[in-house]
Amino acid sequence: MDKKLDQLKTEYKNIQIPDELNFIVERALLKGKKKKKKNGYKWMAGTAAAAVLFIGGLNISPAMASTLADMPVVGSIVKVLTFTEYKVDKEKYQADIKVPAVSDLENGDLAQSLNDKYLKEGKELYDEFMVEMKDLEKNGGGHLGVDSGYEVKTDNDQILSIGRYVVNTVASSSTIMTYDTIDKKNQILLSLPMLFKDESYVNTISENIKEQMREQMKADENIIYWVSNAGLEDEELFELFETIHKEQNFYINNDGKLVISFDKYEVAPGYMGVAEFIIPTEVISDILVSDEYIH
Amino acid sequence: MGKKSRCNHDELFTSFIRENKENFYRLAYSYVKNSEDALDIVQDSIHKAIVSMDSLQDIKTLKSWFYRIVVNTSLDFLRKHKRVSIVDAETMEFISSGSEDHYEDIDLERALDQLAPEYKSIIVLRFFEDLKIEEVADVLNENVNTIKTRLYKALKLLRVELNDEIIKGAN
Repeated sequence: MDKKLDQLKTEYKNIQIPDELNFIVERALLKGKKKKKKNGYKWMAGTAAAAVLFIGGLNISPAMASTLADMPVVGSIVKVLTFTEYKVDKEKYQADIKVPAVSDLENGDLAQSLNDKYLKEGKELYDEFMVEMKDLEKNGGGHLGVDSGYEVKTDNDQILSIGRYVVNTVASSSTIMTYDTIDKKNQILLSLPMLFKDESYVNTISENIKEQMREQMKADENIIYWVSNAGLEDEELFELFETIHKEQNFYINNDGKLVISFDKYEVAPGYMGVAEFIIPTEVISDILVSDEYIH
Repeated sequence: MGKKSRCNHDELFTSFIRENKENFYRLAYSYVKNSEDALDIVQDSIHKAIVSMDSLQDIKTLKSWFYRIVVNTSLDFLRKHKRVSIVDAETMEFISSGSEDHYEDIDLERALDQLAPEYKSIIVLRFFEDLKIEEVADVLNENVNTIKTRLYKALKLLRVELNDEIIKGAN
């Protein structure tokens, strides 16, 4: 590989330098200086003036909120709606952050803590974006985008799973998913550890996911996960997937199956996107506290 | 900040550009693959740098600051001219699957160009321009760990592509 890199480097260094380069650089240096004296700040001012900035509450008006609450909902009472939305829409900088809110949850404390978390994280995301944008503008510009929102993964009599995503775009994009799964009957927020009798779930689930990864890679050569014994070359160079975290992202799907989720880049090359694995219930049935949620 | 230091900055900037202009040209060329466009990018980058010189807080960061401008200007150019697929879904799409009589160095170059821009930038800056990991991180506005991870993955992707080419070539 080093040899190949050296070869690439030689090729790179051999890129021919056109005769005009010197002239163009000198002219740019000269022109730049003149321009700077005349209207040094015009460029910056232009960018600022072109900026359109919306910070709006989509469903924030009381009238809108009450309309939603009055609508008859079939099947479930708990609702997820867009509480507020942060938006920046400039040529090079785009942000769209939708903050969800859970409503009509009988357990008011739970709803409150979820909604507070959503709002806080949404606001933080927006603030970070604004800082980065100002930084980039100062440093000669660039592209920046953030897109955040939510999807209701599961909504049945028992389970409500809300997935929130954050897609960051710089040169390419990265995606981060976070799930919250609520037991609607008992009005509690579920965590991965509480579903199992002991911590052995970490290994059991991890081993199953590794098997699934290897099987998928065997079946389709375009699929790659960072996993051992799956024919990857130079495994030692990479951080291979070992085990899930105790609090790994998960949700429970409509069939009552446990789904483990990994962010983009976490266990696979970026083109694979967000990776999800449905864990067959028979694999974990022995260590589940009950078959109430997962069956 | 006095007038004197501003003058020093300008002088330093001018000599920095003059000394490294060939590097900037190659860097731009590695993105746009065309001499005319690469010259435009060098010119634009110098303009942008001069106009926003005030934002350069520490002259020590001149190098990564200007590299960043060149990289961003190149990527902007590609975006405007739609010559690159920004989607990294295509990263692993292997090229020239049917051709047999290709030369290895062309394959190498192609393999590099097949990488998503964020991977390619790292390879170019780290190995060809000999920037330190910290400098690459600074240029690309990422933290050092992200750059390290991407560097490993970039090498990995590059290797997978190359091996695949070689296998296909042998058939």
